[in-house]
Amino acid sequence: MTKDVVCDMRQFEYAEGYWNPYVAGVALGLVLLATFYLMGTGLGASGAVARTAAVTAHVAAPAAVETNGYFQEFYKSGKKHPLMNWMVFEVIGMFIGGFVAALTAGRLKSVVARGPNVGVGARLALAFGGGLVGGIGTRFAMGCTSGQALSGGATMAVGSWVFMMAVFATAFVLAIFVRRQWL
Amino acid sequence: MTGPLYLFGAFGSGTSLAIAVVIGFLFGFVLERAGFGDARNLTSIFYFRDMRVLRVMFSALTTAMVGLVVLSWLGLFDYTVLVENSLLPTYLWPQLVGGVLFGVGFVVGGYCPGTAVVGVTSGRIDAVAFLLGMVGGIWVFAAGFPAWGAFYKSASLGRLTLWQAFGVPMDLMAAAIVLMALGAFYLAGLGEKWAPYDKSFRVERAVRSSTGNALLSTDR
Repeated sequence: MTKDVVCDMRQFEYAEGYWNPYVAGVALGLVLLATFYLMGTGLGASGAVARTAAVTAHVAAPAAVETNGYFQEFYKSGKKHPLMNWMVFEVIGMFIGGFVAALTAGRLKSVVARGPNVGVGARLALAFGGGLVGGIGTRFAMGCTSGQALSGGATMAVGSWVFMMAVFATAFVLAIFVRRQWL
Repeated sequence: MTGPLYLFGAFGSGTSLAIAVVIGFLFGFVLERAGFGDARNLTSIFYFRDMRVLRVMFSALTTAMVGLVVLSWLGLFDYTVLVENSLLPTYLWPQLVGGVLFGVGFVVGGYCPGTAVVGVTSGRIDAVAFLLGMVGGIWVFAAGFPAWGAFYKSASLGRLTLWQAFGVPMDLMAAAIVLMALGAFYLAGLGEKWAPYDKSFRVERAVRSSTGNALLSTDR
């Protein structure tokens, strides 16, 4: 009879070499605290993607975007260009900071992150599809994990906590059905 | 000086954009060091393999939350200004539906928007696909806006905090959330020991490799 294989984090090379999660969390919390102290708002990410979507659509069909019920809020007359925005600049900083962190840790590697039982094509299709559904979700929720769950959560906003609970409850249940992608 | 500085007019919008880049740099840097640049580290939480997402998120959330409460005790932060001007407003049903869709996107796609940015800078091709999908999803949202625009702004409760909703003092609400976070950290440890998926996974692998292979060589 086969004995249980000892299974600890050391078996998963992708999980090695990072900061202790509590240290990383406190560091992230201090960045968030500084943001609130300086700006009165928290961190964000999806808003910058929404503005990118508006601007790219505007290149193809300017009239349709300027009259679109959702996108028009970015193109009101007399307003600055949609990309002249605090969160867009913050996300530009994220690209630089993330790059420096990956580079200096020796983790900059062109790979498709996937479990051992899923092919590259299927994983990329699922990533795209997940991004599509998640992107729609960020618009209904007016934010994502950064803006709603983390920043809204830290200021105890009711809607942010509703969002956070809905995200994790859904993901834990759906995880059962997509485990072949990850395990 | 009493914060939030920008809302009190301590500096202009040009300075605020420079601050945005610096804050973003630190945000991106810490996310990468937390392990959030790889989808496997982000989805491990859903299989009780590695609960780092919960640990990082709740320790960050409580650090900032307690920090703001302490700063307001010290008179260094005006919480009222935040609640009245910049607290995220609640739209109950849209945010619930948005959360469900976002949860689907998270576990299927493997990222959320901020972590996908860090994934891209770490060289993760799937993070590029996720961000492209997001742009497409937002196009879909905008195209369908005539159909769901009314729902989007429904169930508005305004800038409502948990302590107002429960009718308790702010400090007490924050303390309750800290206790909840400590409980969640404890349960996270139990969850990793339980590791239901990795147990069945181990059995599967052991059966598959009954003729013996490298995997079983770690057996004692």
